[in-house]
Amino acid sequence: MIEAHDLTKRYGDKLAVDRISFRVEPGQVTGFLGPNGAGKSTTMRMIMGLDRPTAGTVTVNGRPYVEHRSPLTEVGALLEAKAVHTGRSARNHLRALAATHGIGDSRVDEVIEMTGLQSVARKRVGGFSLGMGQRLGIAAALLGDPRTLILDEPVNGLDPEGVLWVRNLVKYLAGQGRTVFLSSHLMSEMALTADHLIVIGRGHIVASGPVQEVVDASTQSSVRVRSPQAAQLAELVAGPGVTVTSTEPGLLTVVGHTSEAVGEAAAGAGIVLHELTPVRGSLEEAFMSLTQDTVEYHSATVEGGAPVDAPAGEEVDR
Amino acid sequence: MSAVTTSAAPTSAAPSHRWTFGRQLRSEWLKFWTVRSTIWTLSVMVVGMIGLVVLISFPMRSAVGDFMSAEEALWAPFEFAVNMGSLAVVVLAVLTITGEYRTGMIRASVTAAPRRTPVLWSKLVILFAVVLVAAAVAIVLAFALQAPIMSSLDASIDLGDAESQRRLFGNVLYLATIGAFAFAVGALLRHSAAALATVLGLMLVVESLVRGIPWEPLEYVRPFMPSSSGYLLASSQESIDSMNAMAGHGIHLSAWGGYAVLVGWVVVLLGLAAVLLKRRDA
Repeated sequence: MIEAHDLTKRYGDKLAVDRISFRVEPGQVTGFLGPNGAGKSTTMRMIMGLDRPTAGTVTVNGRPYVEHRSPLTEVGALLEAKAVHTGRSARNHLRALAATHGIGDSRVDEVIEMTGLQSVARKRVGGFSLGMGQRLGIAAALLGDPRTLILDEPVNGLDPEGVLWVRNLVKYLAGQGRTVFLSSHLMSEMALTADHLIVIGRGHIVASGPVQEVVDASTQSSVRVRSPQAAQLAELVAGPGVTVTSTEPGLLTVVGHTSEAVGEAAAGAGIVLHELTPVRGSLEEAFMSLTQDTVEYHSATVEGGAPVDAPAGEEVDR
Repeated sequence: MSAVTTSAAPTSAAPSHRWTFGRQLRSEWLKFWTVRSTIWTLSVMVVGMIGLVVLISFPMRSAVGDFMSAEEALWAPFEFAVNMGSLAVVVLAVLTITGEYRTGMIRASVTAAPRRTPVLWSKLVILFAVVLVAAAVAIVLAFALQAPIMSSLDASIDLGDAESQRRLFGNVLYLATIGAFAFAVGALLRHSAAALATVLGLMLVVESLVRGIPWEPLEYVRPFMPSSSGYLLASSQESIDSMNAMAGHGIHLSAWGGYAVLVGWVVVLLGLAAVLLKRRDA
């Protein structure tokens, strides 16, 4: 269980996290979704006591992280890949962390096996790929068999097999009743992994709730209909609160009716249908619509060679 | 709804798996010996010091009578060797702490020990103890190897003499303490190159200038130089007296008083480093 109240972090002039409150419940995978620079990592670092909140509080399993007497068995965290001395072997890195809590070498070897690092465990971490670094970070997070897991972008740099492994692992751990808090900017991954979502944009929480609820609330479902009598059908289903658009001849997109209603209306009028498909909003669309005003680093629209929002100072340099 | 799942929540691992300072020491011990820089710097220090004492003892033996007393000839090789050895100790000490910042390891370390300062103290304990032992080994072996070389002189380092004991022990303690000093600077600056440049610049440049330039105001600064004052513990009473005589109305230091200056620096810098470690975002 993670609980944040009015959590705020300011770096100089920049408000990275602005009075956010949320709760991460045990027994499910909670996704923390947001564009780059939205405040995900800052929030996670504050949970782990690495960054001091400017204001507000956050507790893990009932108390601030720094007050736990056995932090590694309470919370396991992967905050950035390779928070590891590059000159040390993976196994020695894990042994050193385990030693702080009196965790034995057998558990070290266990997490090495769980994360598939056996073949490189005695190699120096400096030569690790991003994916191996991620696996080592996850191994470190699992060392204390913690009740709560916090993983910041765990699938970054993993191959498809690794991505699937992380997905199954976090679901398995949540199924055991643990609290799993997982950040990502990859919406598709979240859609497959998370049960619950907290969406953050520019330091604010813009949505939170079960995944489907968040998607439904921030996207429109529609019905795609293909018919040789499209124009006739469009007239038939039109009404207040209903929009019908057509992107190609014979194809309609109806918003405001269920597929059942459209099908029955067509049948009643004797209109031939070639296709009738309910289209649900995707997490991707939800994410875009939720965060479009809050994206920190917009891809600059380059026109005439100058970024649209170029600060005045840059003009002087040219 | 969630009652079922929460009741199945795993109890945290065996209650014996808890953080303690002793375990933190064990962890830092493992960390200390599992990076190459430790082995390298310690070998350079021990082998280099023994080698230098042996090598320099030969010309010193020949120089007795013309330029120096037998007493000076016996001790001068140790002074050279410890000067060199202190450079290796400084590198080891700085890397012990800045290596964690360079690689991001510090975040893993303070996640395991969220009160943070125990990480600093346990590293310091391990570093100090290891350098103390390594320096003692180097000094004892150097002493043993020098004795036959210097046997032709009619003087030798008398182990029963209180001043000789103080100087031998002083060399060992100076090395361990200059390590603590460099460690503290590393903990403050959190950057290998910056910390090395600061400590070595201070020891090799600033202190030499302060000692060497005959300008009156510097007499008030001289006694507070960490390295040269700390080394008084390994210096002869004769040279301490002559230094104090030259100091005019400056501050006079005893052997242990000089060492206390170095310890004072270490205490202040470590205190500052501990406060900043607590305060700063890791």
